[in-house]
Amino acid sequence: MGEKEYYNIKLTVNGKVVTGSVRAEISLLDFLRDNNYIEVKKGCDKGDCGACTVLIDGKATVSCLTSALQAQGKNIYTLKSLGSWDKLHPLQKAFVKYEALQCGFCTPGMLMTAKALLDTNPHPARESIKEAISGNLCRCTGYRKIVDAIEAVGRGEL
Amino acid sequence: MDNFKYFKPQNFKELLNVKYDLSSAGFPLAGGSNLLIYIKEKSIRSGTLIDITSLKELRGIKKTGDTIEIGAAETISGILESKVLENELPFFSVSMRDFANPLIRNKATIGGNMADASPVADTAPPLLVLDAKVVAASKSGIREIPANEFFSGPGKNNLSKDEIIQKINIPVPERGSGIFLKLGQRKGTSISVTSVAVWIVNDSNKITGIRISLGGVAPVPIRAVNAEKAFSGKIIDENNITALAETLKEDIKPISDLRGSAEYRTAVSINLLKRAILTCLKTEE
Ligand code: FES
Ligand code: FES
Repeated sequence: MGEKEYYNIKLTVNGKVVTGSVRAEISLLDFLRDNNYIEVKKGCDKGDCGACTVLIDGKATVSCLTSALQAQGKNIYTLKSLGSWDKLHPLQKAFVKYEALQCGFCTPGMLMTAKALLDTNPHPARESIKEAISGNLCRCTGYRKIVDAIEAVGRGEL
Repeated sequence: MDNFKYFKPQNFKELLNVKYDLSSAGFPLAGGSNLLIYIKEKSIRSGTLIDITSLKELRGIKKTGDTIEIGAAETISGILESKVLENELPFFSVSMRDFANPLIRNKATIGGNMADASPVADTAPPLLVLDAKVVAASKSGIREIPANEFFSGPGKNNLSKDEIIQKINIPVPERGSGIFLKLGQRKGTSISVTSVAVWIVNDSNKITGIRISLGGVAPVPIRAVNAEKAFSGKIIDENNITALAETLKEDIKPISDLRGSAEYRTAVSINLLKRAILTCLKTEE
């Protein structure tokens, strides 16, 4: 009685196999952060802010409301899959150029949502961009510069 | 002490058996966008999470005869991408465009949204005006529950402890057009204050058949039977629509809370209903 059960888990994060042992109710967000993927941010922890957005099999979703065990066998991509300091992803370059971040807390999630959008819709209209990022909250920028940055990448500017 | 277990049935029969054995201690886990919140909030402290996402009996969107069947574990994104719905019942796909936000739509499921039985569940008003049926499955068999009789209170539904939602069946209407309007506080939040769905069959401005459903104005999503009676058979114009729409007051029991007062909700729902009906009549021309 009272003894917690643990379950084996194996998934792929940014192309690398990650294994572990987790409790039934653990979220993918907590699993990722416990495994040092701290680029995935914990904001509200209840699906309202989008800071924890990752790609699961190509779709952007909130990792805080994803059961880690349901990510079993899936391909997860976090911000670190996009680019590195010496080789920034066009979206990252655009966010810098268009000053699309201030505190930066929303940025990892925002970039992953933008990545999923561009993967399915390479030249999105402003309205589609606004719709796509409607689950990612930013309390600093007022969104316009974020939309500008994503639009610029869609135009092939970066 | 919180204590959860995880179980992934390998087939439908195993799911029904495990749900029977665990009864109310077995929680179907699909997208997780409700269940994980309840676990974090500690409104659920223990139980077994039954992972239902990959069972084929709970997946798929298809038309069989005059009925569209949507598997309970289909996501809202899946509904939006479905060609079957786009071609056969665009009203329902269009209704789901404003469901929460894209991140949540990628995980929230139609079965989960219905089972959760929120007064503002966004799948409910469109399904109620379509006379949809919730197909409940258990070890002892399958039964259809009319969507309108599925809810028993805020957060409560009429499933028995050994039942799960297998799919939602929607009879494809022969005639008519529908619209779903909602008023939320902010684009992107998962919660609307008040919502109205209507399905109208009309002969120019004369309403020959009408079904009206509302969310957020009573303990559960409701059919507005008084307003339906008031409107049916009437020729609608700018002059009589307000008085007719006000019969809605006999159908609704709004409350005041953080998101709006009862008076506000009443006024909003009357306005939404007027707008919905006028829009439907226009598109039918
Ligand atoms: S931390 Fe996941 S949505 Fe806010
Ligand atoms: S830059 Fe601060 S929240 Fe977006």
